[in-house]
Amino acid sequence: MTIDTQASDADLIARSLAEPDLFTAVFDRHSAEILRYVYARLGAELAEDVTAETFLAAFGCRGRYDGSWPDARPWLYGIAVRQIRRHRRVEARRLRLLRSALADGPAEDHSDRVVERVTAARLGPRLAAVLAALPRQDRELLLLFAWAELSYAEAAAALGTTAGAVKARLHRIRVRMRRELGGSNPMNEENGDE
Amino acid sequence: MSEINTLREMRPAPPPAELEAMRMTARERFVAGTRSRRARRRSRLPALAGGLTAAVAAAAAAALLLTSGPGTVPGKHETGGRTRTVVTAAWTVREDADGTVTIYMRQYTDPAGLQQALRADGVNAIVRQGPGASPTFGNGTTALPATGNTYSTCNYADTAPRAVQRAVVTFAGQDLPARFIIHPDAMPPGSALFLPFLVGTRSPKNANTGIVAFPPVVLTSDTVPACGGPHS
Repeated sequence: MTIDTQASDADLIARSLAEPDLFTAVFDRHSAEILRYVYARLGAELAEDVTAETFLAAFGCRGRYDGSWPDARPWLYGIAVRQIRRHRRVEARRLRLLRSALADGPAEDHSDRVVERVTAARLGPRLAAVLAALPRQDRELLLLFAWAELSYAEAAAALGTTAGAVKARLHRIRVRMRRELGGSNPMNEENGDE
Repeated sequence: MSEINTLREMRPAPPPAELEAMRMTARERFVAGTRSRRARRRSRLPALAGGLTAAVAAAAAAALLLTSGPGTVPGKHETGGRTRTVVTAAWTVREDADGTVTIYMRQYTDPAGLQQALRADGVNAIVRQGPGASPTFGNGTTALPATGNTYSTCNYADTAPRAVQRAVVTFAGQDLPARFIIHPDAMPPGSALFLPFLVGTRSPKNANTGIVAFPPVVLTSDTVPACGGPHS
């Protein structure tokens, strides 16, 4: 088995149908990112487990991968989202903990991002409450955008919808968030999304 | 973008060393899962080629009926991409195509049915009423500070080393419903998985049901040992 480090994910996945071990290279490329996302959503308790399940599910359905996407991240995130859905109670508890942790105030931080961190600490508890109250589909989309940092097109591919629909839904979600935060966000900027 | 930036700052993140350790554990599980899946596929091919599909399906259906204990919810056996699932009112046992067996525990009832379902999935399981396995609490009665509920615990002797326990059993949640994930391939030869059903005494101050999910424990043999090991 030879792995071309320049090969796209789509190439690796296609070749892994004949040489299954090649799929391990896809794991090695993207597992840290998927694990970080799962950790953020579910915590350490389930992060390893759900990450392994995500890649096993991806391995099992790699024959249906859309080869027109050279980068497998959106596909993997889509699978991860479905795996995370199976742990709704854990996520709800996680969001409650996040809210409490943020309410305790910011840790001392001398990084360049201190202003954003202070803002996060100030708005965090309310934002965490808003996040917990969002419908599941809206929360999934918002976190793919904010935490996984997917583009509209990538989030759309992950959720099996269109970029236009994603953009419209995100706008609606952000309007709701601003309303529920009482329009008090001191970092508010009147710019677009991307 | 302010809400989005604020959300990004809020994202919980593990320390890099912890992330890498978790990633390596996930990788081991992934690689083991793919090998197990491929091995199963290979072993099934001759049977399918021999026209035994109907016989296999009939055997699976019979196994499902055998493992359905009291309170079974009819028509809930799923076989799609998974090998099989047995659902009762008290618990669900799901065997995935990669050999992993997951127990979703809702109530501690029908231990015999659960034991039968696990054994049908290749897990040498022993399920019975008994104190929860806890090297930390040791032998005796323990009141959990968080709830005030009281439980019998036991530091069972003759259990497999902690590394083996971690490889065989992962679990989520102490409150019911709890989830136990069993990796039968990681069980040493001759070992058994002991799942004690533990019902505690509910504190009058607490609305909790008085039931807590102590995870299964890997024994070095298929005999349940007495309590008596020292505290760890």
